[in-house]
Amino acid sequence: MFKKLIEESTGKSPWLFHINAGSCNGCDIELVSVLTPRYDAERLGFKLAGSPRHADIVVVTGPVTKQSLPRVLRAISQVPEPRCIVTMGSCPQSGNVFRGSYSVAGPLSKYVDVDVDVAGCAPKPEAIIDGLALAAKILKEKRGRKK
Amino acid sequence: MDFPFMKEALSQLFSKSSCAMYPAVPSEAAPGYRGRIIYHPERCIACGMCERVCSGNAITRTVEHLEEGQDKITLTFNLGSCTFCATCADFCAKQAIEFTGDYHMVATKEEDLLVSGSFIKAAPKKKAPAADKSQGCQAPASGGPTVKPRDDGKPVNDPARCVYCTLCARKCPVQALTVDRAAKTWTLDEDKCIACGSCAQACPKNCIII
Repeated sequence: MFKKLIEESTGKSPWLFHINAGSCNGCDIELVSVLTPRYDAERLGFKLAGSPRHADIVVVTGPVTKQSLPRVLRAISQVPEPRCIVTMGSCPQSGNVFRGSYSVAGPLSKYVDVDVDVAGCAPKPEAIIDGLALAAKILKEKRGRKK
Repeated sequence: MDFPFMKEALSQLFSKSSCAMYPAVPSEAAPGYRGRIIYHPERCIACGMCERVCSGNAITRTVEHLEEGQDKITLTFNLGSCTFCATCADFCAKQAIEFTGDYHMVATKEEDLLVSGSFIKAAPKKKAPAADKSQGCQAPASGGPTVKPRDDGKPVNDPARCVYCTLCARKCPVQALTVDRAAKTWTLDEDKCIACGSCAQACPKNCIII
């Protein structure tokens, strides 16, 4: 009974973990604006978690530099299954203007299965909310499949 | 007893929420916002300028040869690699690239973020080589102040106004123009020219007629 209660409540409130993989800080600031009172994603249940072990959704920004790659993979592997990986902005999807740089190891989809892509440079807060809502939906489907 | 922020706290308690309430209240992007790209293949002439100026390598052009000298040209814009700087739209001589206020660019597959369009371009007809070289060349300066525009959309230079600044040759995406400042000649390679109009836009003296 407790397990069911926990599963239901975690479905309503997916927690986010944000990884900056060499981002220019533009997307990071947009994500902060989503969580603060102006766009207030917390009223929809999204909450920023301090540790990857507490998170359900991983939000990755930045083109995944060589320095950050092992740390990104380590942080993602610590997120318990079922998890949902969201790439924010153009950088983790393709490298964007940093593509071809000697220090860029991306795109992220080379290393992990990415569930949701939010395009934009940087994406509008409304688009991020849309992406997170889609991620929460995918997370629910994954939980249903696991049972 | 003193409550320094009591007035502020009470007024905030009964004021309207500052939250935008986004999913319940739909939100429009501000005017001038650069969102999802719309590509108009019917206006495009495949000059390749957009591809050249793109900083994120988001634009790819593929050419597929059909029969009878026709090419199917496809331009694909990868929004997952775009910085939305709109430099491509600024450089497009035919206004074939449009940035809209649509910011809902959320996808689960990479293919959903591709905007693509294709059109069929007929290869230019080859003329007799002896005739076209003399026609494209500079006419004698003794002629009237205006020259007649051609019917195929390719540029003609008015030598009476031209200062041979070479700006047109530098702007030409296919290097069809050769301008010699010293010899004061303006030569058009008609086989290379794609009639994009970039030279006429770049001309500071408005002496190139299309």
